[in-house]
Amino acid sequence: MKRHSWMRKQQWAGYAFILPNMVGILLFFIIPALFSFGLMFTNYQFANPNVSFTGLDNLKRMFQDDQFYRAIKHTGIFLLSVPVSLVLAFLVALVLNRSVYLKGLLRGMFFLPYISSGVAVAFVWMLLFQPSHGPINEALRWIGIASPPGWFADSDTAMYAIDIVQVWFMLGYNMIIYLAALQEVSAEQMEAATIDGAGKGTITWKIVWPLVSPTTFLLLVTGLIMTMKSFAIIQAITQGGPSGSTTILSLYVYKTAFSYYEMGYASTVSWFLFAVILVITIVQWIGQKRWVHY
Amino acid sequence: MNPTAGLSKSRLLVTVLMLVAGAFMIVPFLWMISTSFQSASEVFSRWLPSKLDWSNHKRIWTGNYNFVPYYMNSLKVSLISTAGAVFLSAFAAYGFARVEFKGRNTLFLVYLSMMMIPPQVIFVPKFIMFNWMNIYNTHWALILPGMFSIFGVFMLRQFFMGVPREITESAFLDGAGHFKIFFRLILPLAKPALATFAIIDFSWHWNDYENALVFLTSPKLYTIPLGLQNFILENNVDYNGMMAASSAAIVPMIAIFLLGQKYIIQGIASSAVKG
Repeated sequence: MKRHSWMRKQQWAGYAFILPNMVGILLFFIIPALFSFGLMFTNYQFANPNVSFTGLDNLKRMFQDDQFYRAIKHTGIFLLSVPVSLVLAFLVALVLNRSVYLKGLLRGMFFLPYISSGVAVAFVWMLLFQPSHGPINEALRWIGIASPPGWFADSDTAMYAIDIVQVWFMLGYNMIIYLAALQEVSAEQMEAATIDGAGKGTITWKIVWPLVSPTTFLLLVTGLIMTMKSFAIIQAITQGGPSGSTTILSLYVYKTAFSYYEMGYASTVSWFLFAVILVITIVQWIGQKRWVHY
Repeated sequence: MNPTAGLSKSRLLVTVLMLVAGAFMIVPFLWMISTSFQSASEVFSRWLPSKLDWSNHKRIWTGNYNFVPYYMNSLKVSLISTAGAVFLSAFAAYGFARVEFKGRNTLFLVYLSMMMIPPQVIFVPKFIMFNWMNIYNTHWALILPGMFSIFGVFMLRQFFMGVPREITESAFLDGAGHFKIFFRLILPLAKPALATFAIIDFSWHWNDYENALVFLTSPKLYTIPLGLQNFILENNVDYNGMMAASSAAIVPMIAIFLLGQKYIIQGIASSAVKG
């Protein structure tokens, strides 16, 4: 094949195109990652010149660290926001896809939170959830709930209040992707089901939901990973408090490194975070082969 | 029998219900804007200001807390990062998509695997390296890494692979090289994809809080998210000012969204469904 052999001669062009980008990826991703892996086995503390290799001490410390286990628990509660926002997004997309006017406007309304600045949004929610005078608790009192929750101010409810903000934030993103997936579900499949006498609910749960299952799976996996990595909203609203009740793993890494300057130990915890992401990714690879059928 | 009339009634009902649900989604924004125009005595006591009070907005733009420098810093960081990321990603994406060379697939796998590394893993080494490189606590600590986007390479590669071979084939036969084809044929064709990536990347830099938090310490270098945080730490009962400042951070993104809605939504949809 002529084109093929000609393209082979241009191999150098491939390297030339990738080189500028590769330099940056090497410098800002790969080298730091390797560096961080090394730090895991040291007691490196910022501004302390005495660094020594401590072997697996950091790992041992991690598995005996109560705060680490608490952070895992908080991360688990934080991750609840992923399936909740998925189900809501699916329902919204389903309705927007078929049976409304003003589709563009509605889509925009649901999507708006996702593109707005997380920190600015966090401060708005902070005031909305303000326990004594905030509009949410005022509304709750108005409908007869005498002592509404303290939300971010109460260590029992803070993590769940964060979940509400996170669901609100992610809903639009998931909805957009569901809308795209629903477009691929053919009208014929729907029609055939209707002719067979299936009701609306049956069509939705027996036909449409399975057909978009690859999308659900993808959104679940990417959502879990994205949520695990992000701490901006939490840092802005509660800084991990009250009394550590919203310190998720990623925030715990940040605090260990930049508030307590225990950078070696922080690296160890950050690699635990990576290990969890790796496991989820591997499950995705295996699952894709098994469940996703195009 | 008139199915359309009956249908439109139920449609109307569903639309109204969805508008109510949608209103719940945007109520925080409306409340923010409303509060930003209220006087201090009105906060939490009413939904709409009794009269438009501009003093909160004036205060954050001209008072002790001057958002102008934060804005300039954010614009500088976001624009340079985005421009660099679009160009460098397009370049690499073309290499991955349209040139056959040894080790290409391995290299691409390395790129993809870097997507799994959480930013928390590389914060500490970057902090140390940036100190060595003398760019810690400068805008370059945000701009330089910001110019390299794995997501951008991934998304644009997807697009370039979709450009039909026939379009570039005849140019090859006429003796054009890859560079000529990239600049003359592929880039013009890819304008919508480049715009999509540019908007998404810009919004990411504009809203980026974590990197700024780790790598900037001087208030005069702060970008909007840090400026906002600083304002709130020092004025934590000035609720009207807080909401005026939050509006200032959010409104540009809303404007960009309204202008580029089509690109943003298509881009997000295609990057995930086909990814």
